Amino acid sequence: MRLKFDEQLDLLNKELITMGAFCENAIAMSAKALTEGNPALAKAVPDLSVQIDHKEREIETMCLKLLLQQQPVAKDLRVVSSALKMVTDMARIGDQSADIAEIITLANIHATDDTQVIHDMSVAVIKMVTDSIDAFVKKDMQMAKAVIDYDDVVDSFFDKVKKMLIELFSKPETDGEYAIDLLMIAKYFERIGDHAVNIAKWVLFSITGNKEG
Amino acid sequence: MTKRIFRSICLVALTVFLASVVLFMGVLYEYFSNVEQTQLKMQTTLAAQGVTNEGIDYFHDLKVKNYRISWIDTEGNVIFDSASDTAEMENHLEREEVREALSSGYGESKRYSATLMERSFYSAQKLDDGTVLRLSISQNSILTLLLGMTQPICIIFVIALILSIVLAIQVSKKIVKPLNEIDLDNPLSNEGYDELSPFLRRIDSQQRQLRGQKAELLQKENELNTIIGSMNEGMILLNQKGKIISINPAARKLLDAGTDCIGSDMLSLCRNLELQEILTKALHGERGENIIRLHGESYQIDADPITSENIVKGAALFFFNVTEKEKAEQIRREFTANVSHELKTPLHSISGYAELLKNDMVKENDKIPFAGKIYDEAGRMIRLVEDIISLSHLDEGADDMQRENIDLYTLAEKAVQSLEPQADTVCVALELSGVPAPLNGIPQLLYSVIYNLCDNAIKYNHENGKVMVNIQNENGMVVLSVEDTGIGIAPEHQERIFERFYRVDKSHSKAVGGTGLGLSIVKHAAKIHNAKVDVKSHVGKGTTVIVTFPK
Repeated sequence: MRLKFDEQLDLLNKELITMGAFCENAIAMSAKALTEGNPALAKAVPDLSVQIDHKEREIETMCLKLLLQQQPVAKDLRVVSSALKMVTDMARIGDQSADIAEIITLANIHATDDTQVIHDMSVAVIKMVTDSIDAFVKKDMQMAKAVIDYDDVVDSFFDKVKKMLIELFSKPETDGEYAIDLLMIAKYFERIGDHAVNIAKWVLFSITGNKEG
Repeated sequence: MTKRIFRSICLVALTVFLASVVLFMGVLYEYFSNVEQTQLKMQTTLAAQGVTNEGIDYFHDLKVKNYRISWIDTEGNVIFDSASDTAEMENHLEREEVREALSSGYGESKRYSATLMERSFYSAQKLDDGTVLRLSISQNSILTLLLGMTQPICIIFVIALILSIVLAIQVSKKIVKPLNEIDLDNPLSNEGYDELSPFLRRIDSQQRQLRGQKAELLQKENELNTIIGSMNEGMILLNQKGKIISINPAARKLLDAGTDCIGSDMLSLCRNLELQEILTKALHGERGENIIRLHGESYQIDADPITSENIVKGAALFFFNVTEKEKAEQIRREFTANVSHELKTPLHSISGYAELLKNDMVKENDKIPFAGKIYDEAGRMIRLVEDIISLSHLDEGADDMQRENIDLYTLAEKAVQSLEPQADTVCVALELSGVPAPLNGIPQLLYSVIYNLCDNAIKYNHENGKVMVNIQNENGMVVLSVEDTGIGIAPEHQERIFERFYRVDKSHSKAVGGTGLGLSIVKHAAKIHNAKVDVKSHVGKGTTVIVTFPK
């Protein structure tokens, strides 16, 4: 009985990591399309987002089945319930990556000095997402806490972007739509960072039973 | 063991005990019965005499202790009985002993009482008057005796039991001790039962065999581990569920994994989806390969299914670093693109000028300069093709070129001489200094090394600049240095100037001409002579190229 349960938990773990890898790919592709100013790269992201949503349903079903059939307790219960919550955040990361990709394909954003800050921000956010999934894979509390702290860096990047855009608006020749698109992209990245923090918190919960570690 | 020995001892003891009891009881009882019977007969005779002499009075002063005396008349009626009232007694005529006595004068019999607890002996004698005197004695039956002896028998029984237990424990201990003390690691050193020695010898030989096989296995494993461990390529073995069975140090380093990763899932080491895809394919029995990027380098990954009897038992992953290969391929592609471009440019001008000439659209006095331009462009093309040919020749290793003992200084003199006119036109002073330096090498290549270096030094120089060629013998090496006072090379370009068609400043290069292959040829020629090329340069001050040839 326990053997089967272990196998199911193992499969759940594997699926979660795969979903995490999908998310990493989605956000990395969006960021690359933005930095290189190549909208063609961003075209694949919405498909990936659909795949991620699909994975979310799969994992949810798996978790509910586990809860019903195995009625897990203690740590197992924490693992299953945190998985159930984590997929939501992962799916949001996928959706927001797709949103960024959509803006890039529609708005034809060029790689300029303006996008440099957003590029730095995207690097920081990708690091957060990667680290949060790494923390989940390795069940590493320190790493999860580091991800939560790293959110401040992303927030400060967002502030920088805002300041930059305010300056941009003050110039008469600025294309307003372009500036707003940049703001949206920055905001999406910032949100993705928040979701990475949520994932890290759920990792902490699955290890300690306490969301704050 | 103890139990069985105990059982046998116990059984023997009890059997012997019971047998002796039966034997003794039987024999002694018989003996005493006979003695008693004889006594009874004697007493009967004595009593018969007494009664004959004294009549009924004999009984009056008779003191009977053990016996019972009855006097029976001829009719069978009891006249006297020492034990009970005569009146109540039945007729005794039918009694066996009485009947016998009546007929033969003496009779005897024995009877058991109703409960079998007692046995009675009867002895009867016929008196002269026809009456019969009977004496009887009661004796405990053998059963009563046995019952009486129940207690001692039980005690003896218990003692026998205890003794057998103690004995059994001791005996079994004694028997088992040598068996327990057998040292199976050194079977032949045991002294115990001789009966065991065949087993021990067999065990010994099997142990030796096992040790041999173990050592062999260990050696093979070590060999394999050394090979896998020292491999530069990463190797990972996975079972059919995708869990890591074995991972070599190279792969561990590559994937940033600790030693505890064995048994974990491949996904937890590397989340690359392409890798996952070919791995899944391999676990379904299909070979797969892909090139993925890890830590900024390219790795070709081969995933091979491991099958046994057509069932996939796992997969093997190999990681080959193909960064260099990809780079080389890219350089080759760039080279091809560059060559075609470089060839196309002069061809375009040639064909342009030729077209004008063909259509007779050139003024008469312009024809000579046009032809001159065609000639120059063609010459450039020839130089380019020659350079490419010599480069590809050098790429092949220049095996067909003969090594000769030559003097590098003489070669340098020749090169400087042939470059002097060119130097004069751009107002650059060309100087040669140094000592004769004998060297074994390929003259054409060495000449082109000096020629190309000087050529560059002249081309990339300022007006009224200087080029100093120096040849020295140092520590058994021949050192050629070409120093100029030219424009210099920025540090970020210094590494790349030896690449084919690499130009620091593309617009400037057009003006000075050249094929962009000179330094490539220098690099290759130096390599064939095992020489080392060093570049020291400061932007605006000049460049020094030092080539060190081993003798």
